[in-house]
Amino acid sequence: MVNPTQTAPQAANQPRPEQPAQQPKAAAAPGLTYQPNVDVCDCGAEVMLVTDMPGASAESMDVCFEDGVLSVHAKVPQRSLPGRQLVQEYGIGDYRRSFRLGEGFDASQIAAEYRKGVLTIHVPRLAAVRPRKIEVRPA
Amino acid sequence: MPMYRPLPGAGFAYPLDELRDELDRLWTSLTAAPPLHGWGVRPGSDVFPAVNVSESDDCITIEAELPGLDANDVDIAVSGEELVLKGARPDPHQPTESATAKPATAETGTPDRQGTSGQGNGERHKAVTWHRRERGTGSFERRITLPVAVDASRVEATLVDGVLTVTCPKAAERQPHKVKVRAG
Repeated sequence: MVNPTQTAPQAANQPRPEQPAQQPKAAAAPGLTYQPNVDVCDCGAEVMLVTDMPGASAESMDVCFEDGVLSVHAKVPQRSLPGRQLVQEYGIGDYRRSFRLGEGFDASQIAAEYRKGVLTIHVPRLAAVRPRKIEVRPA
Repeated sequence: MPMYRPLPGAGFAYPLDELRDELDRLWTSLTAAPPLHGWGVRPGSDVFPAVNVSESDDCITIEAELPGLDANDVDIAVSGEELVLKGARPDPHQPTESATAKPATAETGTPDRQGTSGQGNGERHKAVTWHRRERGTGSFERRITLPVAVDASRVEATLVDGVLTVTCPKAAERQPHKVKVRAG
């Protein structure tokens, strides 16, 4: 659940997972929702999130940014291997995860692309809050 | 303030000591860091990639999740009853030759799409801050023992949306031979 009271002052600079206690992708159980692994990178002008979501498709992705929270949900169709299952080390199910990014982002410019099972989201900062390097001139 | 201490030479476990030891064990298990390279794999396991394997009458099918990899990035070798999966995923944190040659893809690790243009590659990689690194990188190799010998010349593999599927037809002598029963 989104809890605005937990927003830390540095939340705008340090995205953190909103729901850290979701089901890890481990045991095989159909119909479960899994928490995908993600890299979160702060590039100054934008925050980039790279998420492993194998087996999904761009059409099934739902990326939403609301009240400073970026949430990702991907529906993954069930697939089964032919014949008798001998080994099952991972399960197949939907992906869901959300992050509190805080304020200062331009929601209208968020871009996402899905390629080779990896979802990449670019969340640009508003121009007013982007870090700006001040050049110091010699006196 | 009273202090409770086990009696010297007591022949039974002191309840408070047991409780403390149990809490120590619980705390240790909770604070143990998960492996960084365990993408998609059961927590605590260092096996990558995780696989699902099935067997039908005429073939063995192996499925593995390899997000971010191209078909050219994966080597599959089959001999007899063993299948070897090898490959690598580059570290986006490190400047690589591919990143230098092709700086526009997010996968190869040029995260500053718009921020710090005009700087060198090394400087650009230093400029970013990683808040979370859960996706593993580096090379991997996994050997899978198949339940029966397969025909290596007819093995086929596809990699779609990060899901690798390898179909290994069973060797002819291993396929079930149906016996026709004639009416007497």
